[in-house]
Amino acid sequence: MQRRYLPLIVLSAWLTGCSAAATVPSTVSNDTGLPPPTRQVLANGMRLIVQEHRAADIVALYLFVAVGARDEGPTDLGFSHFQEHMVFKGTDTQGPGFVDRAVEGAGGRSDANTSFDYTFYSLVLPTSEASHGIQILADMAFRSKFDPVEMARERDVILEEARVEQDSPDTALTRGLNRLVFRDHPYGRSLLGSEATLKGATRERLLAYYRRHYVPDQMTLVVVGPVAPRHIEAAVQDTFGRIPAGGHRRAPLAAARPLTDGTRQDVERPEQQAYLALGWRAPSTSDPDGFAVDLLATILGGTESSRLAQTLRDRDQLVARITMDYNSLEAGGVVSIKAKLEAKDLDKVQRLILDEIARIQEHGVTEDERELALTTFEASHAFDTETAEGLAYAYGLAETTWTLEAELMYVKRLRQVTREQIQDAARRFLSRTDYARLAFVPARKSR
Amino acid sequence: MRRRPMAWSLAATLLLGLAVPAGAADAGAIARTRLANGFTVLVRPNPAAPVVAISLGIRMGTRWETPETAGISNFLQLMVVRDTASRSGTQIVQEAERLGGQIDAVADQDWSEISATALSRNWKAILELVADVALHPTLADSLADSIKEFVLRQIRNRGDQPYAVAVDALTQSLFGQHPYAWNPLGRGQSVERIDRTSLLAHYRRHYVPGGMVLAVSGRVRTPEVVAEAERLFGGMPVGRPPSATTATPPPVGATRLESEVPGAQAQILMGALAPPFIHPDYPATKVLSTVLGGGMAGRFFSELRDKQALAYSTRALYPSLTDTGYFVAQLGTAPENLARAEASLKKELERIREEPPSAEELRVAKAYLLGNLAMDRRTNARQAWYLATFELAGVGYEFLDRYTAAVGAVTAADVQRVARAYLKTMRESVARPPIR
Repeated sequence: MQRRYLPLIVLSAWLTGCSAAATVPSTVSNDTGLPPPTRQVLANGMRLIVQEHRAADIVALYLFVAVGARDEGPTDLGFSHFQEHMVFKGTDTQGPGFVDRAVEGAGGRSDANTSFDYTFYSLVLPTSEASHGIQILADMAFRSKFDPVEMARERDVILEEARVEQDSPDTALTRGLNRLVFRDHPYGRSLLGSEATLKGATRERLLAYYRRHYVPDQMTLVVVGPVAPRHIEAAVQDTFGRIPAGGHRRAPLAAARPLTDGTRQDVERPEQQAYLALGWRAPSTSDPDGFAVDLLATILGGTESSRLAQTLRDRDQLVARITMDYNSLEAGGVVSIKAKLEAKDLDKVQRLILDEIARIQEHGVTEDERELALTTFEASHAFDTETAEGLAYAYGLAETTWTLEAELMYVKRLRQVTREQIQDAARRFLSRTDYARLAFVPARKSR
Repeated sequence: MRRRPMAWSLAATLLLGLAVPAGAADAGAIARTRLANGFTVLVRPNPAAPVVAISLGIRMGTRWETPETAGISNFLQLMVVRDTASRSGTQIVQEAERLGGQIDAVADQDWSEISATALSRNWKAILELVADVALHPTLADSLADSIKEFVLRQIRNRGDQPYAVAVDALTQSLFGQHPYAWNPLGRGQSVERIDRTSLLAHYRRHYVPGGMVLAVSGRVRTPEVVAEAERLFGGMPVGRPPSATTATPPPVGATRLESEVPGAQAQILMGALAPPFIHPDYPATKVLSTVLGGGMAGRFFSELRDKQALAYSTRALYPSLTDTGYFVAQLGTAPENLARAEASLKKELERIREEPPSAEELRVAKAYLLGNLAMDRRTNARQAWYLATFELAGVGYEFLDRYTAAVGAVTAADVQRVARAYLKTMRESVARPPIR
């Protein structure tokens, strides 16, 4: 059910496993006719970003909270995600489902997602409901009840969610490769936690986690739609603005150690289709090398006419699909190549991928390829501006894990990347020996 | 990691069809032009973003197939975007990317489509590319061989997915010899038989101006687009598409099918035949489907997930089809919960026949249905798709305005009435892991 309108092109959601872009290729170009967004910091430290966007009478409200799997201790794995589920299950004054009834009853929809660096909640509503939506988000953020009976039920729902993920080879591949690339670093963890840690999540513990992290100074609200910034500000002051700062300072995260050897894992699965994933450690959000890696990944495997698609899919017909993604997080990133193929071709495909990497390391890319990659990013941004959600997500993510300013300058910065820098990035980041490989192979007893 | 259950990519697209119809377009006026050869052009100027989307709809799909030719429409669509007289498959996708967009071709039950997007400054070049794909495919033998291998693997891989297996068993049981019985991919045996001769014949029957609609939405000017469409498509010789396969679904009967598919979850589907989208009962049945499992405020989600914790994903699907349609209730659960979940889902399907929606349930369902349709119609790609497919179905894009008004008028009694009429006898299809 494709009901999400997040930026879809090129950089798929490696770490959240959904169809959201990771690093956000977006800038406000003159062609879109959009005014620049406003950004302000309330007295309690909460950040508010408002973008006027008059394409439709719809407003997108995105609340980003700076909490995710990286903030969890060994015994509270999965708490960020559990809490994301629980804030929909009632407040001191309202019962479970209050968000869904209010939002859907207004003709809108809601969503939420937990990743390593952040958690976000989104409401997309008719513009006349903007203030109501802000009130709902504030209730979720500060007044959730964490009723023990509801917690027990929702724990079972999350265990079902884990089974859904297990049954999806694409999701399982993404999660599995992530573990191999980041290993014992917090980014190598399971976002859902384990059955044991979920069972250990008592009301007291989850509530304490919520109160520590769900404070205005750890939040960003992004509002995009046909709205006046001053009206939005009034509604936010009236809700989020009344909550005192929490003073919680997020513990800095150590950089992940580089991969210094080849990690190889083959996993037997019931499907007859085989899957191959190769992963490398890559620049973090604040690392300027990320721009070159974005273009490199696009040229090598990020589009339908990329080098890997042309050779492995079109010419040799060895893969049904091949993609390449770069996802950057605050303390490190990951570049991955994933393919759907027949099990007998696994080694051959891996060899050919490494050959293509060698070719780009040795000979670099053409000007034509560089320009095509830039067009891809420019177009991706232009299509993002069709809906309010595309921009709201991009801004919230940037403010939380990067900077809004860098996000607004994104395409401009990409244009400054030279062919030499792209080639250099291929040499530095795509080692032909130090990478992780995960393969899904058909179980032997299967047909 | 998200609260909203994720998509079942292929299956969902096919099942949803027009899943979220309604809401009026607020951009420029839509212009309809019929060329002398019968080819239809719809243009919707929309200045909101510097982009353009094109949908070239063709009256072709499983509805015109037989058990012997099952899958040929999808096969043909895969062929046309991969080789033309002047461009290789790689050149086609690369050219679209150079224009800041993409191009694709798909087949569904009642329609097939060549879709493309681009930055609006490149509108003429992307339209020319769409025309090249539609009018000059080579349908070469060598390409047919590799497409056949690709499709046969996709069919094989469908057998590994619990949800897809359950859907295929259900539609087979509901539709029998009727072409909605099979997935657009077709079946192994029929796909094996497809060759250049049959593809060419299928292409010539269906790619005729009387059965084609070009819809363009974006930052474009109507007269320019119409003139260009005339130049590109006006020369096609006059032709009408064939009529659809006539077949009747088998009589209603309660069945329970069980398939074994390895996996962590069991998939439960309960389905019944339902009105096509041109039927007067369609709006009420759409509201019924939404009350049950349209959003997260629906009965399935609040009862089966929120209260009983039986599932992460549970929903109702009511694809919009032009011939007899169908309704499906879905729930995925741990194998040990199977019996309990089946009973609970069945109970909800019975309850709606006895207990009409409350005023509040009705209000929320209608708002959700219409609000989501309005949201879905914001992108040019969706706009072009709606324009082309409704025009092809013979109801015109104006259908959505009539539909929106009709949804507004649906009462709780209407919902109960259609529930009693269509959800009386359900067929069940369960895909579960083997019992050890």
